[in-house]
Formats: sequence, C-alpha cells, structure tokens
Amino acid sequence: MKIHASLTGPFPRPEPLVAATRDLDRGRTTQESVDELFARTENEVVAIERRLGLEPLTGGYLRWADVFRPFAETWPGFTVGPVTRWFETNTFYRQPILHAPPERTPGALASQLPVVPRTPDAGKAKVILPGPYTFAGLLDNRSGETLEALTHRLGRLLGEEVKELRTLGYAVFQFQEPLLVVKPPKGPRAEAVSAAYRAIAEAANGATTIVWTYFGDAAPAFPLLAKLPVGVIGVDLAETDATSLSDGIDRRAIGLGCLDPRTTLVEEAYDVAAIVRKVQEKLHPSAIWLGPGGPLDLLPWEPAVRKLHVLPAAIQAVNAGADR
Amino acid sequence: MSRGLFPTQEIGSLARPRWQLLGQRGEPLDAKARDEFEKWNARLGFATPTDTSAAALLGSRSRQVDAGSVKDLGALFGLRFFETAGLDRVYDGEARRIEMYEHPIRQMKGFQFLGHVRSFDNKYYLKAAATGEVKLEQPYHLDEFDFVKAHAVKEPKLPITGPYTLADWSYNEYYLGREKGWKNRAVRRRAQREFVVEIARRAIRPTLQALIERGCRVIQIDEPAAGTHPDEADLVAEGFNAATDGLDAEFSMHICFSDYRSLFPALLEAKRCRQWAWEFANRDGDGRDGYEVLKMFQEYGDTREIGLGVLDVHRDEVERPELVRDRIERAAKILGDPARIWVNPDCGLRTRTLSIAYQKLENMVAGARLARTGFDNPR
Repeated sequence: MKIHASLTGPFPRPEPLVAATRDLDRGRTTQESVDELFARTENEVVAIERRLGLEPLTGGYLRWADVFRPFAETWPGFTVGPVTRWFETNTFYRQPILHAPPERTPGALASQLPVVPRTPDAGKAKVILPGPYTFAGLLDNRSGETLEALTHRLGRLLGEEVKELRTLGYAVFQFQEPLLVVKPPKGPRAEAVSAAYRAIAEAANGATTIVWTYFGDAAPAFPLLAKLPVGVIGVDLAETDATSLSDGIDRRAIGLGCLDPRTTLVEEAYDVAAIVRKVQEKLHPSAIWLGPGGPLDLLPWEPAVRKLHVLPAAIQAVNAGADR
Repeated sequence: MSRGLFPTQEIGSLARPRWQLLGQRGEPLDAKARDEFEKWNARLGFATPTDTSAAALLGSRSRQVDAGSVKDLGALFGLRFFETAGLDRVYDGEARRIEMYEHPIRQMKGFQFLGHVRSFDNKYYLKAAATGEVKLEQPYHLDEFDFVKAHAVKEPKLPITGPYTLADWSYNEYYLGREKGWKNRAVRRRAQREFVVEIARRAIRPTLQALIERGCRVIQIDEPAAGTHPDEADLVAEGFNAATDGLDAEFSMHICFSDYRSLFPALLEAKRCRQWAWEFANRDGDGRDGYEVLKMFQEYGDTREIGLGVLDVHRDEVERPELVRDRIERAAKILGDPARIWVNPDCGLRTRTLSIAYQKLENMVAGARLARTGFDNPR
C-alpha cells in the first residue's frame, strides 16, 4: 500500500515576506519587489517539499489572501465582504458576498495558482480549492438561491475549473471542506453535497480528487464522506479518532491529517506510524495520504517547517515496521 | 460613589495622534501634525503653555524630547479627550501601549516569541509559545496607572488583557507537552485549562494586586478571545476567577465581536465580575436587534451591570444622540432595571479618526443625558 505525503493547505509566510507585505501596505516598497520575493519564497517552499519527498507539490499558496478570495475577486456575482473569523482560530477571511447566482471567469483561476510547482510539469502539482459545501456555507448568500442549490451550483462551477485545469496538465485536486465535519449536512443538504461532488467527478476525468476535512470530528460525517465520488477522504487526527471510523471507503484512499497546526509541539513519527498501521488494519484503504490536519499557516514559518519533517519520518517508521 | 442613571465610560484605545507618532520617533512635526496638536490642544487643553516638551515638539525640536515625555503628553491627550467629551470613567486611550498581547507576555518568563502568524490579508500578529512554567517578571501597567491617577479629573478605569486571551493567542507547549501520548481534544482542553489558570494566578493576579495597592479601583479585564472556542467559556470564567478572587476592586469583563449566546451560562460563573462590557451596536440595525441578546441575562437570572456598547467602532457614521437614547431605553426595557446600565462604545475607537471618535463620544454622552431625562420624566 502506497503512503503519500504532501501539504494540504496554505503554508506560512516567512518573516522577510511578512515584513515586505507590511511595507507594501504602508507604501514603503513596490509591488514588483514583493512579487519577486513571493516567487523566491514559493521556490523555497517547493525546495522543502522536494527535499522531504512531499508530492504532489503545492508551492504553499502564499499569495492567496484566503481560500475564497481568488473566486470572490474574479467570479461575477461576488463582492469581497467583511473580515470574518475562520472557525475556532484567531485568523480571519473576508467573507464573500454573493449577490446573484455565481458564474465563473474562464482562465481567472489558472493565473492565480502558484507558478513554481507546475514548472515544468503541472502533473506533479496539487491544486487546492474550496470545497463546494464549505464555500456555500461560509459566504453571505444574498443571491436568492437556497444553500442546497448553491452547493450544487458551486460544485458544477468548480468542476468546470477542474476541467479547464486538466487541459493545462493538472492531475490532483484537493477540496477544503472543514464545514463538512464542523456542521455535517443532513437530508437535502447532504444530497446537494453528493450532487456537487458528482459534478466534480465527471469533470475530473480520471484525475485524483481529494476531500480534506479538518477542525472537526469526521466520524459523524463519515457515512456521507465515504459515499462521495472522490479518490481520497482526509480527516484531521487532532479531532478524529481514525480507528473509530466506520468502514465503507471501498478500498479508496484515506488522508490522515497527522500534523496539528494549532500547536507548535512536534508530533512523534512513531505515534503517527502507529495510527497509520491501525488504519491500515481496520479500513484497508488503497493508499494513505499523510499531511497537516489543517492549514499550517496557523503557525509561524519555522515551527511549520519543523513539523513537516515528521511526514517522511513517519513513512519511514511505517515501512520499517518500527515501534517505539 | 453615587451616580445618576446611565453613567458613561471609555472602553479601549484611541488612534495615536500624528504628532505623538512623529514625536516618539524623534522626527520633527510636519505642518499636519502641528496643526493637529494645536487644534486639539485648543479644545482639550492637554498641554499647558509652560510645558517644555510640547514647546520643543512645536518648535521643531523633537529630538530634544525623549520618547517617554512624548508618551506622557499622549496619555494626557487621551485622558482629556475622554474627560472633555464628558465621560464619567476614563483612561488614557492606551497611549503608551502598542498592542494588548506582546507587552504583557514580555513581562512574563516562560514564553518564547516564535514569529508572525497571518491574521488576514497582510495583517499579522507576533505569537509566542509557553515553553516553561509561567512566571511574572514584574507587574506591569503600574507607571501608566500612576500617571493616569495623578492627572485624571474623572474616575480612572484600567484595561488589562485577560488570562484566557493571553493563553488562546499563545502556543501551549509547556503544559500540553507534559501530557503523554496523542494530543486529542480532551487532552488539549485539560492542558489549556492549566495554562489559563497558571497565567491568571502567576501573572495577572499579582499585577492586579500591585495595581490595587496603588489605588486602582476599577479594572476592565479584556477577553476578546472569549468567543473563539464556544466550548471553553468555562475556562474564561475560571481564569477570571483565578485572577480576581478575593481582590478588592470593581472588575468588568470586556468581550466584543463574539457569538455571545455560546458563552451562556458557563461565563456567568465569573464570580467577581461586576459588569459585562460588551459590543452591541455593531450588530444593531438593518432589521437586526443588536440588544436582543441581553435577554439571555434575564433568562439566566444574572443581574450584574451591563457596559452597553452603543457606538459602532467600525463605521464613520456618527450615531445621533436620539439613536443612543433609543438603544439605552431598549436595553433598559429588556433588563428591567435602568440602574444596571453603563454606557460606552462597543470597543476601542482606535479604528476611527480622532475627529469622528470625539463626535461619537460627545453624542454618546448627549444620548445618555437624553435617556436620563426620559427616565426622570417618562414620555
């Protein structure tokens, strides 16, 4: 059974980039010079990913203000709204305000993806997108559409994005879905989530699709998660006892969010390996994807880099059958 | 102290005047800063004609004024700003503080600053980890309070960041690290409880004791993080109790921009809290009743004072006195006892220009007066 490891969300900005972007806001530097630093830092993140054997590559999504912003700024129907708390963290996103049923702008997303991981081979890069349920549930919906209709519509639009990015060579797509486990959908809402992911699956045309959940226990939502037509289902081990998950993933892959971005304490590779082995024995997944349980940009740069080293060490411990 | 109905109070920081920023850096005041200084001094009288620091600043001799003297002037400015606007309880606009996390943490042992975390967009905050047992290096805010006490005409009220917020905004390496095995939610919560209580007992409490010994009678404990984790409201209360139990002062708890409903009833266990100073105006209007949440106090039989936020600190639009009056009256009706209400802005007005902040405060005072008159002479 193959064990993958990769980043699952935005990586923190290092101190020089923090200083440069602050200076930019204060008019003390130029956009050009900050762009150059973004590119250099993206290279640095990719170099770390390569050195630690993390693949697919992400580049850290350093430029994105939040997971919704590229859409809120470019898709017709949206405006960018107030600063809003990002779940139970001291970080915030600008809530997209949807004034009319959304449409997509062809080409807009591709131009905002990190450059380095797709050079020269986009097939080695992972595209990280908001999941349709989390997107629909966290925006300020003034469009007149129900949450169910909106979830389904966003699934179709994200599917179109996937289709377009497939033509550019991208082959792995991850959808951020914390809301699926923080506020699990039921009844018609759950059906809308399934319909949204069916639309994405059709568009994916054989690409690897991942639903990554975090900030909540995945167990209550697992019956729904297990039915979604995606290749990998990711759970946050800081919230979820993976051994308590019911079976039913039909030999698909499971993602184990084994790095907790809410603490600077570094996880023990042996502890992670022990969980991996238990999951293997209980769920018999086709593959395991290891990664951070939530966005690592809840940490400063240095502690985040330290944590990443656990991923290859855990894989090594599993392969060696090593116990504490 | 006996008061009429609806006394008014400040709640947090003010925007730093341009002259103070330049002066602290030893830079000469430009025309805009000089103009700002003179205009506000004419209105507030915070600098006397014999004040040598003010004279040096205005005479383009900023380098001759040390940063401490500029901060003194800034504190006097803040004090007179609130007093002249007519408030009953005042402070210095937090003129000497840069922010509310880093300064207190730097007064403690056991913490290590690790770097910046993005708050949103290009805004960041410096975050520390507790890597050892929390210990207080030295009580803080003391000189600041001494200065305010010496110069305040009205009653001073000191704001201080609460233990829960300091813990929530830090990484808990030391107390969580002592827990064995995988750090699941139950383990994290147990370690967080210990962390909050240790900050309260070892750092906040001795600071409060020192402040009280110097004559500080009214203390606002700021807990902006209180609503971050709805299932930790009991830890907010426990931290508050550990910091204040048995201390002789009037304590209030300021919370803003939170889902207050999630805090009930656990937060009500904060025994020494005499006043809940919360934000309401921000959520009032556009068909919403921002004060409806006050019903929760009635529901749980909590009869403590309310610091009623009546000014939205995120909008430039200046609330009319009549709107302030209406908000007070609505709150009084819900609470069933007008004597429980103190009137204040939702939060610190540093988000607004000084000019708008002043107009808002003047109208707040006028609105409280209208409400008082209304209760004396019911319509």
